[in-house]
Amino acid sequence: MKPLKPILPLYALLVIGLPLAGLGYALLGSVGVVGPLAEGFTGRYWQALAHDTGLLYAAAYSLWIAVASVGVSVGLALLLVLRAQPTLRRGPLPGLLYVPLVMPALVMAFYLFQLLSRAGWLSRLSSQLGLTGSIEAFPELVQDATGLGIIGAHVLLTFPFLTLLFQAIYQESRLAELGQLTSTLGASAGQFRRRVAAPVLLRRAAPTVLLSFIATLGAYDIPLLLGRPYPQMLSVFIATKLQRFDLRELPAAYLAGFLVAAGLLGLILVLLRVLKLKVKN
Amino acid sequence: MLTVSHLSKHFHDQPVLRDISLRLAEGEVLAVLGRSGCGKTTLLKILAGLETPDTGTLTLHGQDLLPVPPNERQMVYLYQEPLLFPHLTVFENVAFGLRIRKVKEAEIKRQVTELLAELELSEHAQKAPHQLSGGQRQRVSFGRALIIRPRLLLLDEPFGNLDAQTRAAMQELFGCVSRQHGITSIFVTHDSREALTVGSRLGYLERGVLTSFATVAEFIQDPRTNIAAELSFWENIQRTANLSVAE
Repeated sequence: MKPLKPILPLYALLVIGLPLAGLGYALLGSVGVVGPLAEGFTGRYWQALAHDTGLLYAAAYSLWIAVASVGVSVGLALLLVLRAQPTLRRGPLPGLLYVPLVMPALVMAFYLFQLLSRAGWLSRLSSQLGLTGSIEAFPELVQDATGLGIIGAHVLLTFPFLTLLFQAIYQESRLAELGQLTSTLGASAGQFRRRVAAPVLLRRAAPTVLLSFIATLGAYDIPLLLGRPYPQMLSVFIATKLQRFDLRELPAAYLAGFLVAAGLLGLILVLLRVLKLKVKN
Repeated sequence: MLTVSHLSKHFHDQPVLRDISLRLAEGEVLAVLGRSGCGKTTLLKILAGLETPDTGTLTLHGQDLLPVPPNERQMVYLYQEPLLFPHLTVFENVAFGLRIRKVKEAEIKRQVTELLAELELSEHAQKAPHQLSGGQRQRVSFGRALIIRPRLLLLDEPFGNLDAQTRAAMQELFGCVSRQHGITSIFVTHDSREALTVGSRLGYLERGVLTSFATVAEFIQDPRTNIAAELSFWENIQRTANLSVAE
């Protein structure tokens, strides 16, 4: 065990120390103590937060995108695992599910942009086929107000991963045998899915689903390419503020970054506690 | 009550069950002895409706069972492992069969509480399956089956994973509960002692062929059950021990 001793503090420093230091720096930056134009302690950036709805709107928009993306992904993965077991056990589908997993998020976003934008392939095809009068008549599927394109890209990346995870849990939890057992106890296939299979899968996959949710909430590449300048997702909102040439905007960006990071950490702690309690009960 | 006639089943041209016929009266426990791969599980799964036979008929109280889906047969199949629902407490595991039948809450509470007391599980009612011992888990599995008052209980080496002491206790419990509730069951095992302990009727399954025995003596005398050989082995041991004491 001795050789591990110097590695452990180093690892702790990397995964806890440095992010906490970053968080501390952001907090200090938001009160004007550090930063290029630091003038000493001030609470004016925090006070200005009450009048700036941008951060709140970005948070609400990100929450919507994350809930919709993870919700649709979980739904699709559950549907496949619970209703298409023979297809998932053989044939090309299991192999095909790995394809999106090796695709970088930016590539997926770019591909969807090419496919779904008004100047994209689908729009041109529908215009050629006479389904839409002109390219402009094609519905806004990317860079739209509701974030359909962003949700679509996240679903394409997340649902194959969740399907593979659910399938592994399905086999490990012997749900096929539990299905046979419940049928001899009198349960219909639907009752087995609702009362046994879905709860077992969701409970075991809950920590991973939670991590997917957090990752989607803080996603950057996809909303950058498929989102609008307004509303923006949190990461894009903060990055835009940080990268502005006006250095006086920096404290506000630090403040936004601090609040988002602290909020996400708080959310993780609360959800993990809820999950732990549920598993205990 | 249960009549099985000329039942056969093949898997990939390999015969698993050959012309099986048996009759089982209400309240009887047919203990079927057989080695691994003799077709025991397939026989039980066909009776439960989880497999379909190639030929043969199954009737229960005169009703043709073959067109009846497993969830309408009221014949519970118990695996070697308890296979409890991991997300439910002991109480909810036992209550499962009543909940899917939409029985009223008060009635569920009464029936499950009574059964848990009978199975000596009352103090574990709110525990999760992973907090129980192997024997306790098997008792919960047994209770989950009993609560729906099955017309036939199909047990596939249910105590195979338990240690000798717990296994003996479970055999005794099974005998008591079976008699008390008048349960008709087919109990499959590879342990001749277990077969003799739990069975009111005895059978031997080998390479898909079932032999039914009219008496316990016939079962013991059949060389395939290996009981006579085992008795002789222990008698020899006893004799040798006595001789060495005398010397």
